[in-house]
Amino acid sequence: MFEQRPRTTSAPSEPADFRSKKRKRCPFTQAGMKEIDYKDTNTLTKFITERGKILPRRITGVSAYHQKRLAMAIKRARHMALLPFVAEV
Amino acid sequence: MIKTKQNLYEGMYVISATLSDDARGKALDKIQSGITSRAGEIVKIHDQGRRRLAYEIDGHREGHYYIVYFKAPTSAISELWQDYHLNEDLVRFITLAVEKVMDKIEFKPLEQAE
Repeated sequence: MFEQRPRTTSAPSEPADFRSKKRKRCPFTQAGMKEIDYKDTNTLTKFITERGKILPRRITGVSAYHQKRLAMAIKRARHMALLPFVAEV
Repeated sequence: MIKTKQNLYEGMYVISATLSDDARGKALDKIQSGITSRAGEIVKIHDQGRRRLAYEIDGHREGHYYIVYFKAPTSAISELWQDYHLNEDLVRFITLAVEKVMDKIEFKPLEQAE
């Protein structure tokens, strides 16, 4: 329900800002996935924009390890016309 | 006799959807014989059916997807690549080295935490 606002008297490393209240977690690490398959288009579409661009991990919270594999998988899927290079909006 | 090393590969093929069922079967046979004639061995074939392409390729808007798992010596792969490029029924293809054969092309969705 209500997000607890971080107290302004928190440690100096924690920004006292309501926008940075929660640290994102990598969904692939949490799911315990090692590899990302290019055939799994349902999962891949969650990590591309409406236009078809790959979302940066600063937004999705994907770990560096998985972002690399994710980008590879998306590019393979694009080659096989499973995902668009550029989607018309 | 030296037995050449066989690696496991996964090939995904998009065959033109404008072909008749017969012609499509022949196109798939051609892909299979291409592999077997180069000392390869077909492990499994998944027919993924017709699917709309995400973008137009050479006038094709739809394609029939197949996933073929096969074992082949490494030298066969580059030959197959050249072969596939000359094959007009084949809209797109990809060949990847894989660890294991997928019995079913299914994926469980990522569970969204909280």
